[in-house]
Amino acid sequence: MRASYLPTTLLASALALAAAPAAAQDREQPPAAGPLRPYVVPQVHDFRLANGVRVVVVPQPTLPIVSGRIILNAGAVYEPAEKNGLAALTGNLLDEGAQGITGPELAQRMEQLGAQFSTGAGQATAFASVSAVKGVFPDALELAARTVRAPTFPEAEFTRVRNESVAAHVQALASVEGLSSEAFWRAVFESSAPYARRSQGTRESLPRITRDDVLAWHRRMFAPGNATLLLVGAVTVDEARQWAERALGAWSGQAPQLSPVANPARAVQGTRVILVDRPGSVQSGVWVGQASLGAADPNFVPMQALSQVLGGGFKARINMNLRERHGWTYGAFTAFAPLDRAGVFAISSSVRTNATDSALVEMVGEYRRIAAEEVPAEELRNAVGNIVGSFPSSVQTVQSLAGRVEQILIYGLPLDYLATYRERLAGVTPQAVAALARAHLRPDALTIVVAGDLAAIEAPIRALNLGTVEVWDAAGNQVR
Amino acid sequence: MRRTLLALAVAALLPAPALAQGDAAVRLDYVEETLPNGLKVIYHVDRSTPVAAVDIWYNVGSKHEQPGRTGFAHLFEHIMFKGSRNVPDGSHFGLLEDAGARAGADINGTTSFDRTNYFEQVPSNRLELALWLEADRMGTLLETLTPEKLDNQREVVKNERRQGVDNQPYGTWLERMLTHVFPAGHPYHHTVIGSMEDLTAASLDDVKNFFRTYYAPNNAVLVVAGDIDVEQAKQLVRKHFGDIPRGPAAPPLRSLDLPPHVGAPRREVVEDANAPAPAVYVGYRVPNARSDRADATSLLGSLLGSGRSSPLYESLVRRQQVATNVGAFNFGLVDGADLMVFFATGKPGASPDSLEAALLAELGRAGEAITEPALQRVKAGQRYSFVNNLQRTGGFGGRADMLAQAWTFHRDPNWVNTRLQALDRVTVPMLRALAAERLVENNRVTLVFVPRRAAAPPTNPGN
Repeated sequence: MRASYLPTTLLASALALAAAPAAAQDREQPPAAGPLRPYVVPQVHDFRLANGVRVVVVPQPTLPIVSGRIILNAGAVYEPAEKNGLAALTGNLLDEGAQGITGPELAQRMEQLGAQFSTGAGQATAFASVSAVKGVFPDALELAARTVRAPTFPEAEFTRVRNESVAAHVQALASVEGLSSEAFWRAVFESSAPYARRSQGTRESLPRITRDDVLAWHRRMFAPGNATLLLVGAVTVDEARQWAERALGAWSGQAPQLSPVANPARAVQGTRVILVDRPGSVQSGVWVGQASLGAADPNFVPMQALSQVLGGGFKARINMNLRERHGWTYGAFTAFAPLDRAGVFAISSSVRTNATDSALVEMVGEYRRIAAEEVPAEELRNAVGNIVGSFPSSVQTVQSLAGRVEQILIYGLPLDYLATYRERLAGVTPQAVAALARAHLRPDALTIVVAGDLAAIEAPIRALNLGTVEVWDAAGNQVR
Repeated sequence: MRRTLLALAVAALLPAPALAQGDAAVRLDYVEETLPNGLKVIYHVDRSTPVAAVDIWYNVGSKHEQPGRTGFAHLFEHIMFKGSRNVPDGSHFGLLEDAGARAGADINGTTSFDRTNYFEQVPSNRLELALWLEADRMGTLLETLTPEKLDNQREVVKNERRQGVDNQPYGTWLERMLTHVFPAGHPYHHTVIGSMEDLTAASLDDVKNFFRTYYAPNNAVLVVAGDIDVEQAKQLVRKHFGDIPRGPAAPPLRSLDLPPHVGAPRREVVEDANAPAPAVYVGYRVPNARSDRADATSLLGSLLGSGRSSPLYESLVRRQQVATNVGAFNFGLVDGADLMVFFATGKPGASPDSLEAALLAELGRAGEAITEPALQRVKAGQRYSFVNNLQRTGGFGGRADMLAQAWTFHRDPNWVNTRLQALDRVTVPMLRALAAERLVENNRVTLVFVPRRAAAPPTNPGN
């Protein structure tokens, strides 16, 4: 045990500060803001190559670095349900070999260039992503493009990468965070909806996919008319044209006819509680929420403001409640994931096992409060001010700016979206948010998922009488 | 004082010009001063984005903790966000968030073995708010300290431990590794997060004592970076930090020096109820981050175990297919010895023994893997990382962090401007010698994680 302090130490410290009364007084209030220096959103340029590849360029020449992404409308939403994981497996296999170069050679060459390179696919798109110092970027882009145009999908690599994808799912299900998020998406959407499925495939579905499936998928989906090259950073429009021509100009092929994919939400009558057992768990992974709107919805902006108030930052309601008031968690936030015309809106957290029931009560309570009561004007202004004010910081790197522009391209938003974004957010009113909350949030028909030690938490959760209670296994089958 | 750099030729083996040290775009110019109370201040102008970053590094980390108080430096860091004389509880983050900074990315505090930092990146017209907040807690934290604040953050930190360690597959690997690589009583013997028992034991007196010992202006460096006017920033710094009294000199650490080797091979088998597949972690004592072999050390780890053309990936993942994932890194510990770790995650159902044998066999062939082309590849990757990190003014690893690190660990802000030429100086023979000296059996600690089907619940420390 250390020596405790003598009060004189405290006094000395206080006196030293009191010796400068003018300065101390001056410091009682937070300093006011000076004049805001303007931030100009970088311009977005857009053109097509003769073969149909769309090229989107955002010059940001601060440092000699470029981020490039080749984006294909070839995400998991377009794959057949029984081949769940086909799009992602194809995406993951792109860099395992391409015309004239093996996978290991490709990895060596990219590393030699000092390029960061990855390929894959999500719900909406497949991608090859590459960042590098400007001097070597065109070479890195050419290699990345080759993996998109002419991948070889070697048999041996196919089996290995499929096994790795299965293992990745097994690892994801080993944490309460992975268990609960997967169950939540599955519960919220109709079983026919791609969003109900794991975009990376599952340990059950991946073994059903063959190399022929991958070849056929690539043949059908990967075509210049279905591709966009996004270039952000130290690049001019002229350079972009040259680099794009060199990397993708000689590519030919017929783009697939794709129709929009519906992701219907599951009809919910009353609140539904889904429990997933993880014996011995010292925390529970908790999701409380519902299906929600998509990124292109006119209500996206007010919904984002609402999400910010409820759980968008540290001072947001749910974090102050669960963490700062009660100490039940390391952090609690909203998960607002707007995708193509649908998404989810939820509160999510990992909470101490023996506080799981109490945390659920607070989460449902906060959800109910924001659905029913108008957000005070100042609280809303601050929440919106945070998103608006931090925008320049949020796009300071070429990779983060590319990520934002990619969202615009994926969801078909106007190219000046970022240029007008802050203005639209700043125009959100408490009345608009309240009307949206009343119309959209359904605190009496929530989907609640809890993954944790059921021996410890099931009885207390049942005693809350939040709604019907189901127990699922990790694969989403109801076991009780 | 401004520094400029000698232009330096870059190794010519790369296919296209990469980055040269003399390139103005990748040089950080700065102005430095020391206030009468001992606070070191570094100013750096970068007007590419209208943001300003404030970043304070206190020269205190988990290595300064007393016996029985593991995790305390980090718990203390949490208390720093609970308000001070003019900042009510809950409003430190709140004021900054309202000003346009994102919690987490722009506003945060982090604790490591060697130091604790606090940073905020704000729109540049709110620079004074950030300075005011940092000065208020540096000057007056204890005035508003309450048992409730400590108890609340004690619970938060215990949850941080549950979420990051106790409830994750392989989550205990680091605390196990450290107990083997660093002897009992050595300051690196325990993790930053600490034990549940010691977190429970932390008292208000501990908080007061720690603050008075380590949180003085003369034990910190303040970096002000971004869209700033240096003269104006200097005035603001003096206004807010100038009359915080100098503290007593922090007590010197006892020597952290260690022999180059652990002494004998150590091996621990861990049955992990959270783990769905086996995993193996192999650790070695290596030269620390202040050593003249620090750059060779980090390049050695990357060469052997990072990236898809590394020998570990080539052999274990691609060829033998016993692992689904491999990696290598060192921590960059600055005193005594550093820790380098190689790990491999096995396929579900795979044999832990085969995984271990494959990993050790590959590490035994390290000398053959160290070639000129392989070294050039990892150097190219580190050059890219350097310029990539320069994109951000503040936040994790941005410009302000680089300058603060340079001062805290190397007592020279210009250290950041020597990084690229330091890479150039590392050679194949240096890496081979390092591998031959350190990647040896009597310096090796092996942890083998074996999935345990949940029979009994795992122990739940302190709950």
